[in-house]
This record gives sequence, C-alpha cells and structure tokens, in this order.
Amino acid sequence: MILGALELKNISKSFGNVEVLKDINLDVNEGEFIIFVGPSGCGKSTLLRIIAGLEDATGGEVIISGKNVSALPPSKRGIAMVFQTYALYPHLTVRGNMALGLKQAGTPKAEINQRVELACDLLSLDELIERRPAELSGGQRQRVAIGRAIVRKPELFLFDEPLSNLDAALRVNTRLEIARLHKQLGATMVYVTHDQVEAMTLADRIVVLNETRVEQIGSPMELYNNPANEFVAGFIGSPKMNFIDAERLGIRDAKTIGIRPEHIKADYEKGDWPGQIIHVEHLGSDTNLYVDTKVANPLSVRLFGNHDFKAGETIHMTPLADKTYYFDNDGERVVPADK
Amino acid sequence: MGMITTRKPPFKWHIVVFLAPAVLVYTAIMIFPMIDTMRLALFSSIDNHQVFVGLKNFKTLFGDPRWSEHFWNALGNNTWFFIIHMLVQNPVGIALAAILSVPTLRFAPAYRTIVIIPTILSFVIVGFSWKLILSPLWGIAPSMLDMIGLKSLFHPWLGKEQYALTTLALISVWQFIGIPMLLIYAALLTIPEEILEAAECDGLTGFSQFWKIKLPLILPSIGIISILTFVGNFNAFDLIFTAQGPVAGPNYSTDILGTFMYRTFFGYQLQLGDPNLGATIASTMFLIILIGVCIYLFTIQRRLRRYQF
Amino acid sequence: MNRARQNIFNMIAAHTLLLAYMVLALFPVFIILINSFKTRRAIFRHPLMPPDTDSFSLTGYETVLKQGDFLHYFQNSMIVTVVSLFFILLFGAMAAFALAEYRFKGNSWMGLYLALGIMIPIRIGTVSILQIMVATGLVNTLTALILVYTAQGLPLAVFILTEFMKQVSNDLKNAGRIDGLSEYAIFFKLVLPLVRPAMATVAVFNMIPIWNDLWFPLILAPAEETKTLTLGSQVFIGQFVTNWNAVLAALSMAIIPVMTLYVFFSRQLIRGITAGAVK
Repeated sequence: MILGALELKNISKSFGNVEVLKDINLDVNEGEFIIFVGPSGCGKSTLLRIIAGLEDATGGEVIISGKNVSALPPSKRGIAMVFQTYALYPHLTVRGNMALGLKQAGTPKAEINQRVELACDLLSLDELIERRPAELSGGQRQRVAIGRAIVRKPELFLFDEPLSNLDAALRVNTRLEIARLHKQLGATMVYVTHDQVEAMTLADRIVVLNETRVEQIGSPMELYNNPANEFVAGFIGSPKMNFIDAERLGIRDAKTIGIRPEHIKADYEKGDWPGQIIHVEHLGSDTNLYVDTKVANPLSVRLFGNHDFKAGETIHMTPLADKTYYFDNDGERVVPADK
Repeated sequence: MGMITTRKPPFKWHIVVFLAPAVLVYTAIMIFPMIDTMRLALFSSIDNHQVFVGLKNFKTLFGDPRWSEHFWNALGNNTWFFIIHMLVQNPVGIALAAILSVPTLRFAPAYRTIVIIPTILSFVIVGFSWKLILSPLWGIAPSMLDMIGLKSLFHPWLGKEQYALTTLALISVWQFIGIPMLLIYAALLTIPEEILEAAECDGLTGFSQFWKIKLPLILPSIGIISILTFVGNFNAFDLIFTAQGPVAGPNYSTDILGTFMYRTFFGYQLQLGDPNLGATIASTMFLIILIGVCIYLFTIQRRLRRYQF
Repeated sequence: MNRARQNIFNMIAAHTLLLAYMVLALFPVFIILINSFKTRRAIFRHPLMPPDTDSFSLTGYETVLKQGDFLHYFQNSMIVTVVSLFFILLFGAMAAFALAEYRFKGNSWMGLYLALGIMIPIRIGTVSILQIMVATGLVNTLTALILVYTAQGLPLAVFILTEFMKQVSNDLKNAGRIDGLSEYAIFFKLVLPLVRPAMATVAVFNMIPIWNDLWFPLILAPAEETKTLTLGSQVFIGQFVTNWNAVLAALSMAIIPVMTLYVFFSRQLIRGITAGAVK
C-alpha cells in the first residue's frame, strides 16, 4: 500500500463566530504538486497554516505520511514552509539561515554543511552563502527561503504565496525554477496562491476553495474543461467565462449558460448573436473584443492572432456548441436532457 | 547680453522665519551656556575679577586633595550607580518586555500602563516615599520582612554607608524601568510574525527562540537604552538630593557628580560657592557624557546593524 | 493560536511574575495614599491598613493647606508646563517644517546642530544659564523656567517632527501652492493638522520631565512666589520632616495631579515611547 503524503480529514476552523473552513477533506499522493487557489479570504492560507501546525484546526485531523500530526508542533511534522515575505532571519547569513533548523535538531555539523552546500548548488546560491538577507535581491531572498526548506529534507513542502512579492519578470523565472525543483526533488508540495495562472502552470492537481468550502479538486485541464460549477468555471480562465441568462437564449433546463471567450467565433456577415463592438484590445498574440449584444453586455470574445476589428462596428458571434456549459439555480453544472 | 537673463531666485525669507525662533532659543539657552560654562572652567575669581587660569581648575579638581577626594568619590559612586542600572534595570526590563510581548498574554495593556506609573512620579515623591518606607522609625520595611520571616535582614539601608548608594540606585531602577521595558517591548513587536513562525518551523520556540532570534534582532534597541541610561545616570541629581540632601550622606557615600557640582557651585554650610569650579565639574560631566555618546555612535551603533524586515 | 504552542504553566508563571512586579510598582504609592488619611497613631501602629472610621484623619491635609501654598505651587507648575509645551510645539514644528520641506544650503548641518541637544543634557550649562538669568533680571520668574524648558525640549521635538513631516505628501503641499496658499498657510493649514498625533507624542514626552523637574526651579526660581509644585513639596517636606501626617499629605497632593493626568494620557505616552523605538 502506498501511504498518502498528506491527508486532511474533516478539517474545520473558526475564529470566534466566523467560520473560515468547513469540513475539508483531501488526499495528496507522494510527489504530487497540489495548489490551493481561491479568492482572498477563502481560507486557503489558513488551511496551509493548519497543515504546518502554525494554526490549530477547530476540528479534524492532519495526517502526514500516515502519521496523525494534529497535536505536534511545526518542527515535528516533517514539513518545511516558504513564506510570502520569505521570513529570512535578518541577523544570519545565507548559510546561517539554512543551518539554523538543522542545528536546533542536533544534526552533525558535517552533514549540515553538506546539505547546505547541496542546496546552494541546486539554487545557484554558492557565491552568496556568506551574505546577509539585506544584501540580497528579492529573487535571491526567495531562493534562500526555498533553500532553507530544502535542507530540512521535509516530507512535505508548503509554499504560502511565494511569488506575490516578486515583479512580473522574476515571477515567471521563479515559477520555472519551482517546477524544476519539484521534478528534481520528487517532493510533495502544497502551494497556496490567488493567481490562477500560477495554479494552472504548476499544479498536478488544483484545489479550488471558496467561502470555507472546496469547490472542486482536479487537474488543471479537468478544471478548465469540466468545471463542476459556476464558481470554478468563472475562476479558471482569462478573460473570464461569459455567463448568459438561459432565458434569453430560450433554454429551459438551466439557469445560466457559460461560454469561454475563446470558444466564440466572430464574423462580419453571419452568426447567431449580432452586436456592436464597444472596445478592442490588441495583445499581439490575441485580440479581445467586448461586444454589446442582446444576450450579454459586454460579451467578451477572444480571437487568436491579429484582427482588424474596430470599436463601433457591428459583428455576428457564434458559440461553439460543444463548448457551452449549463448551470442550475445553485450554480451547479448540469447536463441538459437533450445533450 | 543675450535674450535670456538668468535671474537669481528671490531669497526665501520664510525659511528664516520658520527656523529663527527655535534656533535662537536653543542657541541662547542651551548651546551658548554650554560653551560659556566650559569657558568659565578656564577662569578663576581673584579679587572679584575673572582671571584666565588655563587648566588650573581641572588640576585642582583632579589633584588637589581638598577637591580631588570628593571628585573621585563622586565619579566612583556615579559609575557604581550606572553599573547597577545596567545590571538590574536593563535585564529586568528586557525580561518583562519579553513576557509582555507574548501574543497570547492577556491584560498586557493593563500591565503596560502600570509599569510606567513610577516613571511619571517626580523624584521628590519617589525619594521621600522610599525614604519613609525604608525608615526604621516607621517600620514598614522591617514589618514586611518580618511577615516572610526575614526580619534579621533589615538594615536602615539609606542610613548606612555601605548600603545607601546601592539602595538609591535600586530605587532609581524601580522608577525608570518602564522606559527600557517599553522600548524593548516595541522593538519586539516590530519583529514580523512570519519570522517567528519560520523559527517555529525550524524548531525554535520559547526560550531558544528568544535567545537566538529575538535577542539578536533587538540588540540595537538595547544599545539605545544603554546610552540613554548612561546619559541619564551621569546627569542624575534629583533623587539623591531629595533623599539624602545636598551633602549626599551618610558621609558622602551617595555623592555623585550632580550633587557634587551643586554643592560646589552654590556652597553649603561654611563653604562658599565657587561658580568656576562648578563649571569645571560641569565641563568634566560634559566630557564624560560626550565620550560615552561617541563610543556609542562610533563603535557600538556601527556594530549593531538595524535590520530591515 | 496553537494549542501545541501554548503552555498553561508558562502563562501562569508569566502572570505571577507580572503581578508581583505590579505590586512592587504600586506599593509605595498605595502606602503613601492610605496613610495620608490616618491619624499619627494609626500611621505607626498599622501602616499597611487602609483608614477606617477610627483612624481616619485629615490633620495632615489641614497642615499642608494652612502652612504651604500648594494651590499656588500647582498654578506655577501648570503655567510653566503649558507655556513651555506651547513654545516647544510651535517653534519645534516650524523648524521641523523648514528642515523637512526646503532644500537650502546647510540644511543637514542645521539638523545636526539642533540634534546635539538630544544627547547632551542642558544641566551642563547651568552655571552660565544662572548668570544669564541674573544679568537679564529673569531670576525668580517663571519666564526663566519656560525659556530653559523650551530650549531643553526643542531638540527632540524637532527631530521627531521632522521625521513625521517628511511623510506628509508632497502632492498635497503642491496642490496647496497651486491654489495660491502661502508657505505659512501651507504649514499652519495643511501640514500642522496632519502631524497632530506626532505633536501629541512630543507634548506627552516633554510634559513629565518639565512637571517633575527639581533642578532648575531650585536654582533659577526658588522664591516663594515662583515655586513649582515639585520644589514646593520638596521644601515643605524638608521643613515638616517630623510631622508625618503633613509629609504624607504633601506627598499625596503631589501624586494626585500627576496620576490624574496619567489616566488621560497614558495611552498617548505609551504609544509615544513605543513609536519612538520603531524609528
């Protein structure tokens, strides 16, 4: 039997009367890259902190490598955490930052040195090893924070929005670096972000959280192609999915129809929904149109490549029939009888 | 002449207006008297005339047995006064601050408020109150010691040469401990929560976390309270004056530079006041404080980096 | 907070230590206050007991009110403290604004010059200050004290207020300039209201040392009509050393105004000290 790397059983958490997490269940396999994603305030960071042991769950169990760690302090859980602000010890050098936890655990000096050097090698920090955090750039600090996690050889890596303090260019690089590390180390990683692009690009599986609950768990493509409900459908994908009142299309067995901007064809001559272009965004690779139509205003449309549409022009749009999604009154995905 | 004339911008009078009052008062009442005091230290009054005598006053102060004995006694006492503060006030202040900064501690605001109360009382109140409490006449201290069975430990602490100075230093510590406590408390609060959480993940909790993470990060604040204590102590006067009078008894055992300067300047009993020698003592105090501040600024403060979190 | 991280035993120990310290901090004040309302006999027999109907007595207060002019001393202290604070804040804020707002030659030297007085105590210059006051006929006037305290308070006030004024948005001041406000109007109408919290901090910082000072009243204004409360109680207690009722009552009367003020200003004071440390 393969032991799961992490198991959450009925985790719930409230601060006073405010419920933050309700009955969360999750199984993470060894070596998996799991991302918690959701809007701010959905409880994703709290969930990560509960796994780390920095926060106590109000109910439920945290099981890491088959061991119930709910009552253990963070340092005994076999986890390592990379914080949003990096949380490097300002008074210690890069080496000192990485070594502190091992020293505290009584690891022999030779082994500490060896592990620190290995981590520095892996993250190309060799030349910075005697510097203090204040002498490092944002990206370098981020790497030190990751290195501090690596030297502990944890069974579980926890990342709390690790890229949110980096500028856009660095963010892409660091994202690649984390993906590379995940492959190289084969470690289990749990990662929190509010950025769905980060989630889509890194995760093996994504856990979408919203208002205390798990909305859906699945691989990035499952979430994109088969969203379980209106929330997930709207959250994954950019520009956002169009939601159209089903009544306006004369559809009875659903409340709302969802169609992604990239699944709509635009044509000057013919199509299902005529409308007037309000605004055009030329992104080079894509062209985004915002169109005033009877069914929705604005209806967003994403066309690949360059197009010469101009604001004020009238065009006709046609949705791809097999790419429309149907949602009921509760926002749950439904498959209409005739499909 | 070209078409473009460079005009000097008009003089900005408002800058002068904004600065003038502060600079004038400060210069006239603080800087000038300080320099003038040092000038006076180089003069002596002979037949009611001020005569330049160079460093003779300093020689008298350091070397002439009539004065030097008092001077070195006061300097030694002052140093002991400072040492007691460093050994008691700052460690206890840090310990209290460390306890107070525990985030789960309840009633922290109430504790914080009460710790400052002795600091807001005047030396007159503090000095006399403790004098009464420690007085063998009234007997509060002996009867309280009696309650815990330690009556034999009681001595009239303020009246005995060997105890008086230490007792006064401890009273002063009692009065001022709130300041280092609050400064350290504030410094502890600026340590980001995530760093402490990172420490927790690294297995550092409780005492080892304080020792290895928090203490190194508050060293700059400890440096600041040390220099504040130094300046305050070498400039102290009021507490000794209220509790022991200008003669700083018993037998000058509590005499410090402040009281010594006061006596020299104004005279007491049969001795006449000597402004020039008073100025000499003041100048010496100035030099001591200056040396302390310089040591702090150029060595201690440079070594203690202030960390950007 | 985490159960695993919290330790009840430690919490009890922490509260015990803190409570013990609180008792130590409040005990002298408490003893003085309760005994000031007791008969001489009760003061000596049961010093730790609060006054009851038997031992209650106001003789100490009667002596104090008859023999000492405490109301007058209080008034002097009040005048000196309030007027000094006013000038420290006004002059300090003006200078701070000049240093924070304008780039002029010698700006940083001026800042350094004004900061000298933060570390060097003004008492060092006492001999010369007394000579100046004698020469200008200001000895035994409250003006002498106000001048000295203003000079003493300015360096720290300028330093703290400069830091705060640097944070006032430049856009706001420039908007004022475009609206035709003079530099003075910008200072008084736009900047001053924004740094009010910092001004309060400076005020509370200076209030206590001024109110409690013994040295300068003793040297510059020891006359009966200019005695401050601190000096007045010092002299009074010195004269009535053997009259315990009177001494305790005098001490209580010196404690009560300060404690009353503290009730109002403690938050500001603590915030001031802690904010100072963050800098």
